[in-house]
Amino acid sequence: MSELNYLELRAKIVANRTSGLWTLMAGFHFKYLAAMIFLTSGAIAKTSSFLLLAYFVDEVLGQGGQIIGAIALIALSFIVLALIEGAFTFLSGRFAAQTAEGVTRRLRNFMFDHLQRLSFTFHDKSQTGDLIQRVTSDISAIQRFYSEQVIEFGRVILLFSVNFVALLTINVELALVTVIVVPIIAVISLFFFRRVSKAYDAYQEADAKLSTVLQENLSGVRVVKAFARQPYESDKFEAANFGRYSKGTKLTQMHAIYWPFTDVLASVQMLVGYVVGAIMAINGQITLGDYLAYVGMVVWIIHPMRGLGRIIVNASTGLVSFDRIAELVKEDQEPLTEGVYQPETPLKGEVAFDHVSFEYEEGVPVLHDITFNVKPGQVVALLGSTGSGKTTLVSLLPRFYDYTGGHIMLDGVELTDYTREYLRRNIGIVEQEPFLFSRSIRENIAYGVDRNVTEEEVIAAAKAAAVHDVILSFPEGYNTVVGERGVTLSGGQKQRVVIARTILKNPRILLLDDATSSVDTETEAEIRSALENLMEARTTFVIAHRIQTVMIADLILVLDKGRIVQRGTHDELMEQAGIYRQIYDVQARIEDELEKEVSGV
Amino acid sequence: MSESYMGFEEEEFASSMSGRVLVRILKQLRPHWKWVVGFLVAVGAVSALDAFFTYLSKQIIDAAIVPRNLEELIPIATAYMVALGFLIVGVCIFIYLCGVLGHRVQYDMRRAMFDHLQELSLSYYSKTPVGWIMSRLTSDTERIADLVTWGMLDITWATMNICTALVFMFLINWQLALVVLLLVPVLIRVAIWFEARILREYRETRRVNSKITGTYNENITGVRVVKALGREQRNLDEFGVLTDKYYHASFKAAWLSALFLPVVQLISAIAIGSVIFFGGVQVESGTMTIGGIQAFVGYITFMLWPIQDLARVFASMQHAIASAERVFSLSDAKPDVVDKPGVEDPGTIKGDIVFDHVDFGYDQEKAVFKDLNLTVKAGETIALVGPTGAGKSTIVNLICRFYEPTGGRILIDGKDYTDMPMRAIQSRVGMVLQTPHLFSGKIRDNIRYGKLDATDEEIEAASKLAGAHDFIAVLPNSYDEEVGEGGNLLSTGQKQLISLARAVLANPEVFIMDEATSSVDTLTEALIQRGMEELMEGRTSFIIAHRLSTIRRADRILVIEDGGISEQGSHSELMKKRGHYYSLYTKQFRREAEKAYGLDDLVGRIETPEEESIVA
Repeated sequence: MSELNYLELRAKIVANRTSGLWTLMAGFHFKYLAAMIFLTSGAIAKTSSFLLLAYFVDEVLGQGGQIIGAIALIALSFIVLALIEGAFTFLSGRFAAQTAEGVTRRLRNFMFDHLQRLSFTFHDKSQTGDLIQRVTSDISAIQRFYSEQVIEFGRVILLFSVNFVALLTINVELALVTVIVVPIIAVISLFFFRRVSKAYDAYQEADAKLSTVLQENLSGVRVVKAFARQPYESDKFEAANFGRYSKGTKLTQMHAIYWPFTDVLASVQMLVGYVVGAIMAINGQITLGDYLAYVGMVVWIIHPMRGLGRIIVNASTGLVSFDRIAELVKEDQEPLTEGVYQPETPLKGEVAFDHVSFEYEEGVPVLHDITFNVKPGQVVALLGSTGSGKTTLVSLLPRFYDYTGGHIMLDGVELTDYTREYLRRNIGIVEQEPFLFSRSIRENIAYGVDRNVTEEEVIAAAKAAAVHDVILSFPEGYNTVVGERGVTLSGGQKQRVVIARTILKNPRILLLDDATSSVDTETEAEIRSALENLMEARTTFVIAHRIQTVMIADLILVLDKGRIVQRGTHDELMEQAGIYRQIYDVQARIEDELEKEVSGV
Repeated sequence: MSESYMGFEEEEFASSMSGRVLVRILKQLRPHWKWVVGFLVAVGAVSALDAFFTYLSKQIIDAAIVPRNLEELIPIATAYMVALGFLIVGVCIFIYLCGVLGHRVQYDMRRAMFDHLQELSLSYYSKTPVGWIMSRLTSDTERIADLVTWGMLDITWATMNICTALVFMFLINWQLALVVLLLVPVLIRVAIWFEARILREYRETRRVNSKITGTYNENITGVRVVKALGREQRNLDEFGVLTDKYYHASFKAAWLSALFLPVVQLISAIAIGSVIFFGGVQVESGTMTIGGIQAFVGYITFMLWPIQDLARVFASMQHAIASAERVFSLSDAKPDVVDKPGVEDPGTIKGDIVFDHVDFGYDQEKAVFKDLNLTVKAGETIALVGPTGAGKSTIVNLICRFYEPTGGRILIDGKDYTDMPMRAIQSRVGMVLQTPHLFSGKIRDNIRYGKLDATDEEIEAASKLAGAHDFIAVLPNSYDEEVGEGGNLLSTGQKQLISLARAVLANPEVFIMDEATSSVDTLTEALIQRGMEELMEGRTSFIIAHRLSTIRRADRILVIEDGGISEQGSHSELMKKRGHYYSLYTKQFRREAEKAYGLDDLVGRIETPEEESIVA
């Protein structure tokens, strides 16, 4: 696959369909061409065997004398021709398959990588289901396009051409008589399959409706039972079920008309050909052998045409799939290794925001004029309402988004001079909703480091994250698989596995979304101590949701509508009037009221 | 989407050809046996007519061309036209009968399964993922229907083709026919050999393919973590291993398929070669005609078609049998809760409910309740509080008789409730769930679910009582607004108001509500409270309560913890105890107060709603 440059592939796919489909085949062009040539050769071999039959009848049989040797030779030639045809058919199929599978593998890998390198902005607005749909069924459709539709189309056309040319050499008039209906059949076929694909869509729609009714009934089983609405539900299902049945019947009716109808056309055409041929043979215009060859070949001219419409309609859905993939390919990737500065010493973790502003969309600023300094190892707490810009602010550091104004200096160097890859290797993130991968706990903990990790390191990280004992309580310990196919972890357990993952990664800068708000009180203390282990000697940004979290911070920033409205330590902020003291006061007041309420009963 | 539930993994192919299952599949056809006979006869006729055409083609050569007799063409062409007429009718009939029957069989099976599902108890649903059931009613019925229609048709066609071809060959020249006959078993052996290998590779591709989809899914949902940890290159490498596996398996399957056809053709070419040799010699001696040789070539090709198809038919048969095994496992499931024979509907329920030494557990090893006793007087409002998973929902499930006690009795109005029909209880219980379930359609239809013959006025009145009318009235289409699939066009609070209206309309004798834990805006919250009050008025009510106001208003509070009622009494009684209730209450007090003072907004806290499974 190295012969293909992904950037070039992308450019071609985006440019237009033909160049995209062509470039995807890079390295397989000759194989695919070979498949086509073998296909042609196979067709020629097949037609030759009909011509051989003609030769056999005209030149060998009825010549009298010792002809057993000649007959044996003819019989042998037949087998040899079949062998050649078979070999060509096989080779054609093999090369076509190799091309199709190779292209599919390339496209799958390309799309996998492309998707994971698309920007955060892209993933923010796209839906998982839609993406999955494209990379699975659309890629399969493209695979069928290469492996079946193009080849089948080629086969129909080649069989027609080769046999028609052979017919022309036998007798031009007979050949022309034979193909009268071919255009008619081709047109009818195309027309019919267009109609069928519409009827099929309607059928699919009825099918989807049935699924919806079923799905809602099954997931709402308690409501159905609670209202004792089983008969009503059965009626509703009956209607959807019958709808699908009648659409299916309609589809069947269309086929029940089309195939016999084209059968009539084809068979009448064949009869006319037979009769004309027979008359010609009787009148001596063609030989008996020619007639026999004709009978063999005519089948391959007329019959394949009936499926032409199906092939064309299917191929067009393959092209639609290609367009849907191309739409994704158009999206810009995040350049991970773009950056001019490669630090030689380890990162210290000094961060300075200097009049930083940011907007997702032009003219809609999310952060304004953010300025503050953090020394290595300090803790910065961010406090503010939803939408105040806390999460956006920390997302700027790993360059998930690039700031649109001002400067962020990391160890005195402009942040955008670092590569994204470098920054992400040195920044650890613990999100509010932890995400684990469906693999073993060990692999999950080691997921963030780019080297082989020893068992001791994994255990040490798990111990520091206060999750070691929990892991040992699972039947398979560190080999326990989490997620859909394995054990379900509680929110707090997941959180601690993520902390262990981050500890092992050992970043210089830490971004924490105050994780404790979503778990119950029992695990809160454990997570808190795990977090304290984690924050040890690292520059830390905490998105805080409660006062207890921020009290230990070296610097508290209170954000409102994208601006810093208050800054300082806990003690300093308590001195000022403002949101911070407001929050503190409210908490105190609640405790007072509770006191009163409890003593009141 | 993907069915990756533990213990519910799909086996794509049946482990072996099970005769018992096959017989049961065929039984599905019993009501439609006339159709089956119809299409089998039609396809048999078509196959015979096809063979007849080849024979006519021979006649043109032997009777007309060789003796140079033009007149002979007329009867042959006439016979051809007549046969063609029959053929067309035959084709039309078998496509129609087979296609429609296929849809009919699916329709029948779905209906039967759906009705059966309505009878099954909640315990079945708690053990069986919805996706699994869905597949049984959709893709599996389709496969089974395909087997009994097109699959049977293919087999019949294949057998008929081979038989008619052989018959005609024997008629033309029995010695040559014998030579060809010898090759048939060889062909079938080769076909089966290839079939087994292609199927094996195909299975492998399916297996790898589902892994590929899973990996895609995970990498897209977890893309932020992947980026944050800089895992792109390693993930691509791992993914490359998967696509390589897929490439090799599917390439192998493809080239085996590509090889299969030529090998079959080669064997047939040997047959044709022998025919030309022996036939040619016989033509010289006058015992064989040229038309006869031509016909033999035609018949050999004719026999080949179905044999080439054998692999596909065989594979889909295995698919269908595996499908049938799963479908039958669904149809064979028995409901756990059934009515005793001869029970009578008491007509009305006053609402006295007694738990008399009730034991219960969802599975045998783990009891949820032991010796639970509880007496509720008609009209009383009971609040159930306690940690998630302690058994609050279980009490509700027992009252509704979604499950029955494993020991002891539950009495309604003094009578053991298993002596009443289930319908008598369930149709008189009004229920509002924590995550309200709506059906796609209009708001009006969703409310009408509570009383199917309700007029529009009644619906509006119920909505007003439940406090839902105000928000509905301002929607663009008012009561005709579509709620979307599962009601997802509405907010949780709105859905809850609609399900309250639905319960009001049903005018139940017992009211059960599971309050939402997730946040609802203050105005909607107040509306819901009012609607609830409306419903609790004068009815025995059970509320799984999360809000302080609801709890305080209850006549009695039950604290449910580990297998029983740990505390019960009024709010002030329980507060004085300083026990479990006290700590639950203070915790909730802080939460609500923080919300009331807007602290959540100040610090941007997002409440994560507790997921409540349908049968927790």
